[in-house]
Amino acid sequence: MIRAVRTSVPTTRRAFASRRLLSSSVPRFSADQHGHLPTTQSPITPHLEFFNSVAGEGKTIPTYRVIDGAGNPLEGARVPELDEALARKMYEEMTKLPILDNILYNVQRQGKIAFYMTCYGEEATIIGSAAALAPDDEVLGQYREMGVLLWRGFSYDSVMNQCFGTHEDIATKGKQMPVHFGSRELHFHTISSPLATQIPQAAGVGYALKRDPLRRGKNCAVVYFGEGAASEGDFHAGMLLASTIPSPTLFICRNNGFAISTPASEQYHGDGIASRGPGYGVHTIRVDGNDILAVYNAVREARRRCIEEGRAVLVEAMTYRVGHHSTSDDSFAYRPRQEVENRKRLDNPLARFRMFLEARGWWSAEEEDAFKARVKGEVMQALKRAEELPKPPVEEMFNDVYAGEEPWNIKEQKEELKRLLKKYGSAYEPWRTELRKHKGEGKEFV
Amino acid sequence: MNMYQGVRDALSHAMMRDDTAVVFGEDVAFGGVFRCTMGLAEEFGRERVFNTPLTEQGIAGFGIGLAAMGHTAIAEIQFADYIYPAFDQIVNEAAKYRFRSGGQFSAGGLTIRCPSMAVGHGGHYHSQSPEGFFMGGAGLKVVIPRSPIQAKGLLLASIRDPNPVIFMEPKVLYRSSVEQVPMDDYELPLGRAETLVAGSDLTLLSWGTPVYHCETALHMLTSPSDALAPYVPQSLRSAKVELIDLRTILPWDAETVAESVSRTGRLVVVHEAGRTGGVGAEIGAEIQKRCFLKLNAPVKLVTGWDTPVPMQFEKFYMPDPLRILDAIIETLTY
Repeated sequence: MIRAVRTSVPTTRRAFASRRLLSSSVPRFSADQHGHLPTTQSPITPHLEFFNSVAGEGKTIPTYRVIDGAGNPLEGARVPELDEALARKMYEEMTKLPILDNILYNVQRQGKIAFYMTCYGEEATIIGSAAALAPDDEVLGQYREMGVLLWRGFSYDSVMNQCFGTHEDIATKGKQMPVHFGSRELHFHTISSPLATQIPQAAGVGYALKRDPLRRGKNCAVVYFGEGAASEGDFHAGMLLASTIPSPTLFICRNNGFAISTPASEQYHGDGIASRGPGYGVHTIRVDGNDILAVYNAVREARRRCIEEGRAVLVEAMTYRVGHHSTSDDSFAYRPRQEVENRKRLDNPLARFRMFLEARGWWSAEEEDAFKARVKGEVMQALKRAEELPKPPVEEMFNDVYAGEEPWNIKEQKEELKRLLKKYGSAYEPWRTELRKHKGEGKEFV
Repeated sequence: MNMYQGVRDALSHAMMRDDTAVVFGEDVAFGGVFRCTMGLAEEFGRERVFNTPLTEQGIAGFGIGLAAMGHTAIAEIQFADYIYPAFDQIVNEAAKYRFRSGGQFSAGGLTIRCPSMAVGHGGHYHSQSPEGFFMGGAGLKVVIPRSPIQAKGLLLASIRDPNPVIFMEPKVLYRSSVEQVPMDDYELPLGRAETLVAGSDLTLLSWGTPVYHCETALHMLTSPSDALAPYVPQSLRSAKVELIDLRTILPWDAETVAESVSRTGRLVVVHEAGRTGGVGAEIGAEIQKRCFLKLNAPVKLVTGWDTPVPMQFEKFYMPDPLRILDAIIETLTY
């Protein structure tokens, strides 16, 4: 198929092209020597040269950092203007994550919930970015971003209700696996398991925001994904769409080094995910994902550009997945335990930020202990409550497949299940046991 | 008005009534490769009618995102044959969006239009009828019109339906079907079949292009040509065959079909897609369940063969009027 090609090029790209020309070592060309290539502003060169990096001469894209491993600002780095309250809130929200992760991981190990995924090691990336967003920016996540919801006020009860699938689970009404959270009120679109599908969706969300007079220039769509998900075709589609159909969409890649067992070195051969951004004409930055201040600064600036220019921006946060992929995974089958231990010790995002706070007298060991104890208590309370709550009524299974009139097939199948439950509900042990766990114990059927 | 004009008219009405409605896809801005979006960009601006890069999974995903924000997304996939890259977005995402979020979010504002069915020379990838693949996609609706009036009314209903809808337009009818289409804004109900010819001896069920082949077959039954006359028993020529256009594939109108078969005792289903795993199989199973005691003959399927749509063999592949006529005779004489 031969497709018509736009001949005018946006001014930003022309400016970019001329900058490259000035800084490069190839001979300069006057404008009329650019030739008449119909699909590019590329200058003509007589030199047969290949290239394989966006940073020039094989260099890799640098990683933006604000504080070092001891919490001290790097020379020349601009520390964001955080007041004590915001800084403390950021640290507290970070601290909540491993507490929730520890408890829910163990709860899964005891067989009380079916599944769980921790975010160990990625606390700074998640909370740093959440803090840089407006509370009503539309977030589309992958599954390791519970911290964004907590930052926005998602309660421990909501977390537990979803993981246990109780009748109070507003996020999924007991229909999805644990950690598939969502909240319309908190502008967090419900998580789904298929990887990367949310990426082109985010471009559509961004475009809707741009078209909405009440939100245009105020909000952006934010999409989180791992470096593994970025190998899906949907990543390519989403980047393309948000750049060609300009929409304020902020792409945040959590590059934690692993997609289940696959190391990043088997996921791509280029310079990570950040090197792909310029290929799509997208402003891009790579940031130290274990430095919450770097993440905060980068995402805040990325968001500002995204909204002001109404275009996509890409942030690649370099971090490390300290925990197993999920409760169904033992990561020591494919990476040495010592490597993980070293990582935890050498570069702990929580410890780094804590040292930064302590140097300013904004946090202390006593406060740390008291805070952790309080959170643990509250989480345990929510856990105990959810454990006791019944699951949704069995009938709920058939709701929300369709909006509007319920199709005949669903009506008939509901009737069929009713008949079967009425007939065998007390005689058949597996059903009898299961019915007792649901609100109303299936009596709406009998 | 022909069918592409009916589609274009529906899109114009939808956009006029609803400021959030946008139309997008490959090459839609200049009017579309089948002219269905002609003049819309001029009428509503490039912000509302725009080209996308060539990425079907992207088009579907982008549409879901718009719909999740409560906007009306009218996406075009250039040929139904190219909808498969978007299968994941459609089946795993759009179809399940409401269910999996406990009704908090929905992709209900999404309608995906795609030209489908054979065109005489489309070969493998410009001829397909993939409706059967979507039949198991609980949460989706699948709609196929047969004419300009139907296309306009069903498309407006699809766009406004609170569920994601795949709207398949039989491309051979874009120019060939012409009728007087009301100029006003009207809708035809989804999920309802339409009885085109009343009858009492056999129910003939189809959708899209083959509806016309069914009409031709019925004509051949009553007045066969001299060459075919020996094959059409005199006793069958006055048979009253009930012709039904299913219109909506998911959820399909089992009630209308079962009621008809209960009266006629015989069912022939005609579709262009291959037989195995096709829509006809689903309908056959449901009808034998509902009408077991009323059936006087096995449910007969006249479909494409279980091969890809072959370029130089299309005449022998399609459920053409002769094959339909033969099925009617076989079923009536069973």
